[in-house]
Amino acid sequence: MKNKQHSKPRLLWLQSISCNGNAHSFLNHPDLFSILSHFELVYHPILETKHTLQDILKCETECDILIIEGSLKEKGLMKAGVEVSSVIKHYASIATHIISAGTCATFGGMFKQYDPEHITGFCFDGEVQTTRYEQYAQKLISLPGCPIHPKWLGFVLMMIVQNRPIAKDSLHRPLELYAPTVHTGCARNEYFEWKVDTEGFGLKEGCLFYELGCQGPYTHGSCNKILWNDISSKTIAGTPCFGCTEPDFPKTTLFETETRMGIPATMPLGIPRRAYLTVTGVVKSFRIKRFEERLISYDD
Amino acid sequence: MMIKKLIEKIEGEAELDFTLQKGIVEDVRIRFGFYRGIEEILVGKAPRDALVITPRVCGICNHAHLLAAVSALENGYENAGIAVALSSKARYIREFTLACELIQNHMKWFYMTILPQLERLTQSENGENHALKASYLSGVITKALAIFAGQWPHSSYAVPGGVTCDPTYIDVMQAATLVDESIRFFEQVVIGMALEEYMQIDAVGNLHEVKGDLGNVLYLLGTHGIAEYGKSHDRFIAFAEGLGMQSGKSIATTVSKIDVRYVQEWVQEKSMAKAVSYKDRMYETGPLARAMVNKIPIIKSLHKRYKDAVLTRVFARVHEGVMLLSYAKEVLQKLDLSEPSCTLESRLLADTFEGTGVVEAARGSLIHKIKVEDKKISHYDIIVPTQWNLSAGTDQEKGVAIKAMIGAKSMEEASFLFRTFDVCSVCTTQ
Repeated sequence: MKNKQHSKPRLLWLQSISCNGNAHSFLNHPDLFSILSHFELVYHPILETKHTLQDILKCETECDILIIEGSLKEKGLMKAGVEVSSVIKHYASIATHIISAGTCATFGGMFKQYDPEHITGFCFDGEVQTTRYEQYAQKLISLPGCPIHPKWLGFVLMMIVQNRPIAKDSLHRPLELYAPTVHTGCARNEYFEWKVDTEGFGLKEGCLFYELGCQGPYTHGSCNKILWNDISSKTIAGTPCFGCTEPDFPKTTLFETETRMGIPATMPLGIPRRAYLTVTGVVKSFRIKRFEERLISYDD
Repeated sequence: MMIKKLIEKIEGEAELDFTLQKGIVEDVRIRFGFYRGIEEILVGKAPRDALVITPRVCGICNHAHLLAAVSALENGYENAGIAVALSSKARYIREFTLACELIQNHMKWFYMTILPQLERLTQSENGENHALKASYLSGVITKALAIFAGQWPHSSYAVPGGVTCDPTYIDVMQAATLVDESIRFFEQVVIGMALEEYMQIDAVGNLHEVKGDLGNVLYLLGTHGIAEYGKSHDRFIAFAEGLGMQSGKSIATTVSKIDVRYVQEWVQEKSMAKAVSYKDRMYETGPLARAMVNKIPIIKSLHKRYKDAVLTRVFARVHEGVMLLSYAKEVLQKLDLSEPSCTLESRLLADTFEGTGVVEAARGSLIHKIKVEDKKISHYDIIVPTQWNLSAGTDQEKGVAIKAMIGAKSMEEASFLFRTFDVCSVCTTQ
């Protein structure tokens, strides 16, 4: 991607209603500065930049790629006397690419719950398109996740630099990152296959889908393929997936699985209930001794 | 004359309204913009949802919020008659991950706030990319955290009764290696000397031995006459025990016991941040407070000479990072993996309860109070460290940071003093 005057695309990171978690998540990217070397960083909420926030609020700065962090409120979020939503819309209109970084900017996320009628994502309100969608959809890339996975943002930025087409789903999430479910690559897959429930928190054995609320089998994202902090993931650490990349995050009663007749109420992505029941009936009719034992015992 | 100034890149933004008299700062009003309503969002939710929701208060100290939330739930269980009895394994793992988050925070503050701002103030910029160092160290130490917690930011791996992870000795060994790598970074880059030698320094007279970037900061503070600025009430408070430290309050040379029940919180005019006091008095919280309460020799020595001035405050935060690295290493060595990770069963065990959880977060004491009725959260209260340090004060006395800024010779100088408190706007406007 080239611009007449600028050899490097100008990258602008703006925050709306946010916790800073996406900015801090990206700061942990091991190749952060080599990625950033491909851009001219116009403004960032933590990193040193050429411009101050005051400069940016004047809406006079050029920008090619806009990263939005945080949920949007049309009126009422002011910075230095300026309405933040109008600043974001201005830069969104001149940018060639808009990245909604994290679930708040994409769907409204956590902070939407305080004022669900007025707080939304930039182009989506949950999974419903906002009035902004029409105008900006063509250049929108959604990178939900609470927070954003640093590697996913790094990949997308590099794809933009290299002018690669990015295939997306209907919510504008890149397929290469969001087509798999969080379940893909989970270290507990074997227990899921054989429908072996975990006996509680703090065990490496057993699946978290049946009782402990894990949403991995129906949540889009590659957390177990591209690991967190290059080393782990929620489910590897025994924590259920809370579905943080999805438009309805956060739901409630997150550490319990809602069941219907003893079977999880929400099926793995795309699996008909009948198919699930059939498979479950078959595998549950076998008793597999290995799954009844601990993998490692440190007792002696 | 009144001048408004937007302070940015401090974990969000704050607006300072300065009253100046012949260029000298006479008074300051601190304003935070937008309230995000986390306490309200929690009402009506299942109690353990707090373990997912409260970390989202803050992108940089999310882990402390998780641990405060789980402590509040556990305290509530205990109050409802359910014995929690954490295994020492769970306790040590929580201590380890909390220590990692504090180290991450302190180094980001040092390299991304203090060093660049101090260089600007003293016109000694050399074009070095300090953020690269912060990012490297943060990446290493949060990786160690994620071995147990699954990820950083926004883990929810602490649950009533323990932790969700079930580490192996290979995991523990990897975490220890990452702590060693962080120590190597401190030795070669931050303090410019061996950790063992550094830990021997217990008096101001030996501080010149410190080299590296910390040595440079001490030099800049000293040679530009800033070191003795920023004095405040000289009163300190730390509510939580842990990380090898005791709780208490410190006034002059006396350290005494405290009780969370004497904490008062009130709404301030024209600010979305609530103020807080202890028995109607203002206290500073954070690394300097923890060091004073725990009588850390080098900090006591600095305090004797500089009181609660900038030099003491800045040094205390970096020094705590060094102490926590040693502590994190010790904790890993104590882990006995044959103990259970979680001692309570996974179902919710009490329908109605009230509990309080206190944790020492990077910026000081963090308090969560939960009230549960009929399996739903009916009330949730979060008191964050920045509320202590940045409140407007009472009729009787100014807030801690405000008092520190009064008398500064310029707004730039005052803004620097403000940043030495490691301000977190996002926490304050939860």
